[in-house]
Amino acid sequence: MVNFFKAEISGFGKYPKALCKITRPSNPDEIKSSLSNGTSVIPRGLGRSYGDASLNSKGYVVESLLLNKFISFDDRSGVLKCESGVTYNDILKTFVKRGWFPGVTPGTKYVTIGGAIASDVHGKNHHKEGSFSNFLISFKILTADSELLECSREKNSDLFWATVGGMGMTGFITEAEIKLKKITSVFIKNKTLKLKTLEELFEKFEENDDSYIYSVAWIDTIASGADYGRSILYLGNHADKDELPYKTKKSEEIKVNYGRTISIPFEFGFTPLNRLSLKLFNASIYNREKENEDYIHFNRYFYPLDSVLNWNNIYGKNGFVQYQLIVPEENGRTAIDKILHKVVSSGGGSFLAVLKKMGDQEGLLSFPFKGYTLAMDFPVKPGLTDLCRELDKILLDYGGRTYLTKDSILDENTFKKMYDGKWQKWLSVKQKYDPACRFRSELGERIGLCQVF
Amino acid sequence: MQVSFGAGRKDRTMSGVLILGSGSLIARACASEFASRNYNVYFAGRNKTEAEKLANDFHIRYEIKSSGFEFDATNFGSHKDFINNLFELANDIEYVLIAFGYLGKQEISQENFSEAEKVIDTNLTGVVSVCELIASYFIPKSSGTIAVISSVAGDRGGQSNYIYGSAKAGLSAYLSGLRSRLCKNNIHVLTVKPGFVDTPMTYGMKIPKLLLASPEKVGKDIFKAMLNKKNVIYTPFYWKWIMFIVKLIPESIFKKLKI
Ligand SMILES: Cc1cc2nc3c(=O)[nH]c(=O)nc-3n(C[C@H](O)[C@H](O)[C@H](O)COP(=O)(O)OP(=O)(O)OC[C@H]3O[C@@H](n4cnc5c(N)ncnc54)[C@H](O)[C@@H]3O)c2cc1C
Ligand SMILES: NC(=O)c1ccc[n+]([C@@H]2O[C@H](COP(=O)([O-])OP(=O)(O)OC[C@H]3O[C@@H](n4cnc5c(N)ncnc54)[C@H](OP(=O)(O)O)[C@@H]3O)[C@@H](O)[C@H]2O)c1
Repeated sequence: MVNFFKAEISGFGKYPKALCKITRPSNPDEIKSSLSNGTSVIPRGLGRSYGDASLNSKGYVVESLLLNKFISFDDRSGVLKCESGVTYNDILKTFVKRGWFPGVTPGTKYVTIGGAIASDVHGKNHHKEGSFSNFLISFKILTADSELLECSREKNSDLFWATVGGMGMTGFITEAEIKLKKITSVFIKNKTLKLKTLEELFEKFEENDDSYIYSVAWIDTIASGADYGRSILYLGNHADKDELPYKTKKSEEIKVNYGRTISIPFEFGFTPLNRLSLKLFNASIYNREKENEDYIHFNRYFYPLDSVLNWNNIYGKNGFVQYQLIVPEENGRTAIDKILHKVVSSGGGSFLAVLKKMGDQEGLLSFPFKGYTLAMDFPVKPGLTDLCRELDKILLDYGGRTYLTKDSILDENTFKKMYDGKWQKWLSVKQKYDPACRFRSELGERIGLCQVF
Repeated sequence: MQVSFGAGRKDRTMSGVLILGSGSLIARACASEFASRNYNVYFAGRNKTEAEKLANDFHIRYEIKSSGFEFDATNFGSHKDFINNLFELANDIEYVLIAFGYLGKQEISQENFSEAEKVIDTNLTGVVSVCELIASYFIPKSSGTIAVISSVAGDRGGQSNYIYGSAKAGLSAYLSGLRSRLCKNNIHVLTVKPGFVDTPMTYGMKIPKLLLASPEKVGKDIFKAMLNKKNVIYTPFYWKWIMFIVKLIPESIFKKLKI
């Protein structure tokens, strides 16, 4: 018997929502029982993907949250073996104080290792160190026929590359072996640059590409006219403990868990984010930020948004969509410029955009390739789909694509063009391991990856 | 290379904590509170592999001594050997948390006595069996703390879960007596009465979000109460007031309520 409960759930963007049957197995045998009665399933971690990747209204949603044990850690090599429901928060709390840090980290620590593999997540270091899979040695996955397979670059490598970035549709990852990297302090040495135009911003990205492992820029997408393209570039490296100024060392060294968190416990009935408030907000950030170099605690550097729990509630009941795109390096600047112009002129769109350089990636459905990525939040309201479709068109012209873990509106045709050459290979692996499509999500069905063969 | 990330961890050796019913999320949360303060933790549960996995996880996470054992609360005959062997192996145990419990389904308990029996055996008989053995181990030492998770459901029997409720009521009465008997031996007994907690026991129930506490919150409350030698706690605290009112309702009205 499968012990489940029914609830209306969504991803982080609160859009779309779906009524799902949720199970929370506390050991691998219990996962098998959700698979045993013939309905479809989709794994779910902490639900930090934005759209419908972890929703399945037709069968079960199998949460990994109780499968969250560490299995082994080698403090010479930094190799950690753990169950798939272990979170970044668990890892940071346990290993930072021993001098280890995740090789790649997304912008929130409330993400599971299973989710990190399934989205092949990237961080601010993608241009230098690649995605999560670059630090992934192997994993175990429970496939549709209830077999537990070990996958690595050597073993079942087809399934390895289809699962990395495969959005949970190849099986349930039960445990993984990953490599952490050595650090000697909890600080990032950060350099902030304020830039007036996009042109300048791209120049600075190129110029600093090699000397900083972390880089990301914030573009004001409300500013128009003379201010169009104004942006702030953050560049960083892990600080060595010997270079820390005495005061910094003393004051914050031992604070592995930084500060308090506040919470926005309910959805606003309306959204307080209107054009005027955002314009003022952006201007105040831009004017407050100074060009300088400083030492920033990793929590503030990587997870600034985590200090406000459930901040997604401020977008109101209707939720929001994050549109994250990537365009190839060649002509990339023109493409980004075109897209930003479209967004700025559309008015109702995002108020800021995050820009970053990326390198190539091997996973069959992994998002990154060598080029520029841009992420923007759009509140859900009439006209949003049209705007996204127009942006999709520009992307296709330039050989770009969008990130599946953030997506909730892509259509099958566009997806197949964006991931052409890749999705066919992915489907052939899916056919081999899951011919009846037992692993199914709303996302998969929408973009044509959940067909019964 | 020597890295300094804060105060040295292994500066004090602490005593040990025994968890009976290690699969419980509440127990695990409470164990984390102990472990993060360097107490050693021993886990015992029906699924030995899971108890061992959990112990291993605690060892990695908190750099403490931790091990897992097999234990079934309703296999009364096994308790004596289990407790004797365990306390011999882990002679630093100063704290015990009894967390196992079984809610069952009220309708099934009504129709099928063996289900009702299982509910009573797990929540009451099993605790009595094991508590007396633990007490006899603590008495000669004149120290020790035994915390047991009862429930607000034991404060007043309602139609929706009175088989479970009566077992927990019996348990609360038992603990009150045990506490009184052991206090002269300097052994402390804590009765924990949680309200609704978000664990597999309540999955699928329609409980207002505001009344559903996290296992972490409840685990922390239990930890604090154990260290502060409290007698009876409600967790979260507001259940004390809720139950105060529930107990005031006249029987003639109460019997008609769907509680
Ligand atoms: C504030 C914020 C910032 C973010 N920043 C970044 C960023 O910088 N870079 C980036 O790449 N992403 C980022 N993300 C996205 C996030 O990292 C990914 O969506 C991640 O996959 C979420 O993990 P999760 O555990 O919440 O998984 P869920 O959202 O629950 O699931 C995501 C996908 O993983 C699959 N999955 C989950 N667990 C398993 C498992 N055990 N086995 C198989 N499949 C599984 C699901 O089926 C689903 O397809 C951000 C998200 C937020 C909310
Ligand atoms: N959740 C609530 O709302 C709530 C409210 C009030 C009181 N409580 C009480 O809190 C305690 C902990 O429950 P929980 O909420 O954490 O639920 P839980 O996660 O379901 O834990 C109950 C645990 O009891 C164990 N158990 C059951 N029968 C057993 C037996 N015969 N021998 C050994 N272990 C046995 C189970 O072991 P397995 O893992 O082997 O199944 C499980 O780990 C229980 O006493 C419960 O009655 C809970």
